[in-house]
Amino acid sequence: MRRRIGTAASAIAAFMIGGCASSMNVSSYVQRGTDFTTYHSYAWGPADSRPVGDARLERNPFFNDHMQGAIDRELALRGLQQAPESPDLLVHYHANISERMDVDRLDPRAGYCTVGDCPSGIRYYEAGTLVVDVMDARTNRLVWRGWAQDNVERSLSDTDRLERQVGQAVARMMARFPRARMEQQAAGPASGR
Amino acid sequence: MTWWTRLAYAGATAMTAMALAGCATLQVNAFLARNADFNQYRTYAWDTPGMPATGDPRLDNNEFFHERLRAAVDRALAARGFEEATDRTPDLLLHYHVSIGQTIEDPPPASCTDCLRDVYDAGTLLLDLVNQQSGQLVWRGWAEGNLSGVIDNQTWMERKVDETVARILGRLPGKL
Repeated sequence: MRRRIGTAASAIAAFMIGGCASSMNVSSYVQRGTDFTTYHSYAWGPADSRPVGDARLERNPFFNDHMQGAIDRELALRGLQQAPESPDLLVHYHANISERMDVDRLDPRAGYCTVGDCPSGIRYYEAGTLVVDVMDARTNRLVWRGWAQDNVERSLSDTDRLERQVGQAVARMMARFPRARMEQQAAGPASGR
Repeated sequence: MTWWTRLAYAGATAMTAMALAGCATLQVNAFLARNADFNQYRTYAWDTPGMPATGDPRLDNNEFFHERLRAAVDRALAARGFEEATDRTPDLLLHYHVSIGQTIEDPPPASCTDCLRDVYDAGTLLLDLVNQQSGQLVWRGWAEGNLSGVIDNQTWMERKVDETVARILGRLPGKL
């Protein structure tokens, strides 16, 4: 009986620790000194020769659809038009899933376990990393890279959850893009730059 | 596996053990081939094509990281009297390897009553100098350190790269 309560309490505690605050980690690098106002258009770059990303994401049509849609929206809001023929920028993304470790830190003070009895075990989870690369189409050099990392265990089998996670990842990543949103939302091809 | 690769793995394992023992600072080490005479070497050329995989998707194919690293190495080698070979055959070929992964650290049991283990990102940077003519590894320098929070911050990454490269190449034998 005591062990069953302990297990249930641990499960609740783990959920509370892992489930409340966002565990998503977002950051970016930029080519310093680049004037991003000189760019007006972009195109999706060709599939590159990088190590193959995770098929569960990259070959998932829902994932690709969400990703491209989310990024297209964010770029349009920043006044960048799609110009497949002669773009200023090339955009592509890469998704990777790897097993990562985290430490379960059940706190004896919370009452779920006693000192010496608290599991301080290593928990393994599937971490997804989304990397978005923006390159200058003329020089073929990277001018910006954004990424987001998060636990994707439940998202891989839950399309709605995946969509929300992708949306959040792209929004947070693009908030770091060195070109602000336009005041008027881009409404179509006739909208001003 | 060549003997020097085995030696490097042994060294890296020893360093990992030291790191796990609680040293959070950068661990730097170097190996010099016994018969190597650095006074004969003046020029070098990069022999690592493209951007080698690092094990961390944030740094894989990340031009900012690799260029910072190369610039730091070029600067440190120039300061030590080496010249990057242009069209002539270089004296030395330069390779580098980056490896990033998570490390588990157990605090020393005597230091705490409710000891929690720690998991953090650790990175290893390895620089090899190979005699271009003989193919012999004449020098290897490497460093291992805690990268928690570093990769996500561009400025910290740059500083860490500069510091690590300077400390590794600081172990090069001085030239007369």
